[in-house]
Amino acid sequence: MKSKILGLLSVTVLALASFQSAIAGDVVVISNKGTTISASEVRDVFLGEKQFAGDTKIIVIDNKSAQKNFLQKYLKVNVTKYKNIWTKKSFRDGLNPPASKASDAATLEYVKQTPGAVSYVSGSTSGVNVVK
Amino acid sequence: MVTAKYVCLVQITPDRLFLLLVLLIVSTVLTPTAHAQDTDGIPLHGFADVGFSTHSSESNDPKGFNVGSLDFYLTPQFNDRVKGLIEIIFETTPEGEIATDLERMQMGYTFSDAATAWAGRFHTPYGYWNTGFHHGAQMQTSVARPRFLDFEDKGGILPAHMVGMLGTGKVRMSEGKLTYDIFTGNGPQVVMGEDATSTQDYGTLSINAAGDDNRKAMSGLNIGYEASGNLDGLRLAVHMIRGEVTDDSGATSALTPGLAAGPNNTELNISGGSIMYFENDWEILSEFYIFNNTDKSGTTGKNRSTASYIQIGKSFSSWTPFVRKEVVVLNQSDNYFTAQANGQSYNREAAGFKYDLNPKASIKLELQNSDFAAGNRPASSYRSLLLQHAIRF
Repeated sequence: MKSKILGLLSVTVLALASFQSAIAGDVVVISNKGTTISASEVRDVFLGEKQFAGDTKIIVIDNKSAQKNFLQKYLKVNVTKYKNIWTKKSFRDGLNPPASKASDAATLEYVKQTPGAVSYVSGSTSGVNVVK
Repeated sequence: MVTAKYVCLVQITPDRLFLLLVLLIVSTVLTPTAHAQDTDGIPLHGFADVGFSTHSSESNDPKGFNVGSLDFYLTPQFNDRVKGLIEIIFETTPEGEIATDLERMQMGYTFSDAATAWAGRFHTPYGYWNTGFHHGAQMQTSVARPRFLDFEDKGGILPAHMVGMLGTGKVRMSEGKLTYDIFTGNGPQVVMGEDATSTQDYGTLSINAAGDDNRKAMSGLNIGYEASGNLDGLRLAVHMIRGEVTDDSGATSALTPGLAAGPNNTELNISGGSIMYFENDWEILSEFYIFNNTDKSGTTGKNRSTASYIQIGKSFSSWTPFVRKEVVVLNQSDNYFTAQANGQSYNREAAGFKYDLNPKASIKLELQNSDFAAGNRPASSYRSLLLQHAIRF
């Protein structure tokens, strides 16, 4: 009986972990068609350390609907720490923290229309670059 | 920093009106540009804090409730490369008056990710604390700054502000980033007190915002390395400042124990470094400064002094307890320190905690034990309890 309970618990934990991983894994970083950044630059872009892609000013947009998973997957920080980092960055270097959109659809539309825009979505990536 | 000349009572004075107008104009004029970039307008950021302090009977510091500071800053982006950083502060003086100051007024141009040039009034980039926290009390774990790094009129012995030019940037290296700040501008002046009835007279640093009094620029640099990978969160840096500082003591130098007949010129020669670590819920901050100053107007020659602190804290959910030790040994033959009200050697131990009510509001407590060494001024020792409620917005 005890081993069955342990087995059931293990399966549940694994299932939850896989589910969590699947959610986090669904988030992809996107950029405007005319803006190219590499996967290794994503962290610097979202922490204000990289402001230009060539001569194009990068405009970082947070997507509130996918922010938690994005931060977990790409920056390894939670929302509170992310905001703390940006407060310090803004105060010291005079940069504005990223503006944000509420949904995948609004984010995708903004990135499509705005040269230099970089963000992330958990849904469609039609009409934008996907950062790999 | 608020010098006596900017202090005014609570009323609409011309300088305060000017600051408010600057704030309104910048907010109003720049908003259309911001909308064009869909950045939700120009955000008005800020910090504020209130507190309570008490000290053992040996201290003359004010006791009781206090209003700390109300700090507003704007970060307008004029276009892709031209930007500004404007900071205005309202704070109470030890005399209980409300003072205003144009804390920062910088105009910048970003050449690339590796280089931004600023001109105007900025926080002097030595060590970490002065540019990292400054008036942003909510960002720092402790209630108080290390005393020797405090603002010029509140205990500091370094020019925390400067008017001039600043170049700053970061360059990616294989496993981290090289960071740099290089600056030059008006050197500070030691302005002696204006109380003619006092039996003793000490001065505070003035940053010479309207122009250099002795036409001797102050210059410096702060070069660091930000590690990544397994050492993510570690930052090592060295800093250096050169300049010439004059006091305006003149005949009043006789009122300042140990001060040579003035005015005195001192060649300021500061070097040192900093070690910071912010990761894995730890925060370790340490800075040290070595002064090899030269008396240019008298006979005391070269004088060496040192100042350092280390602060260690660790977060446990919303709680961050910390301890700090400050060791400051200032040569009392050095006119630069003898002239300053804050130029006495001291040791201080501090311990306390920060409790985050939420990410933007914190309550802090700090206990201090301070020992000031005998020299031109009598020794003293006292203990303090500081409480603070700090917010950001």
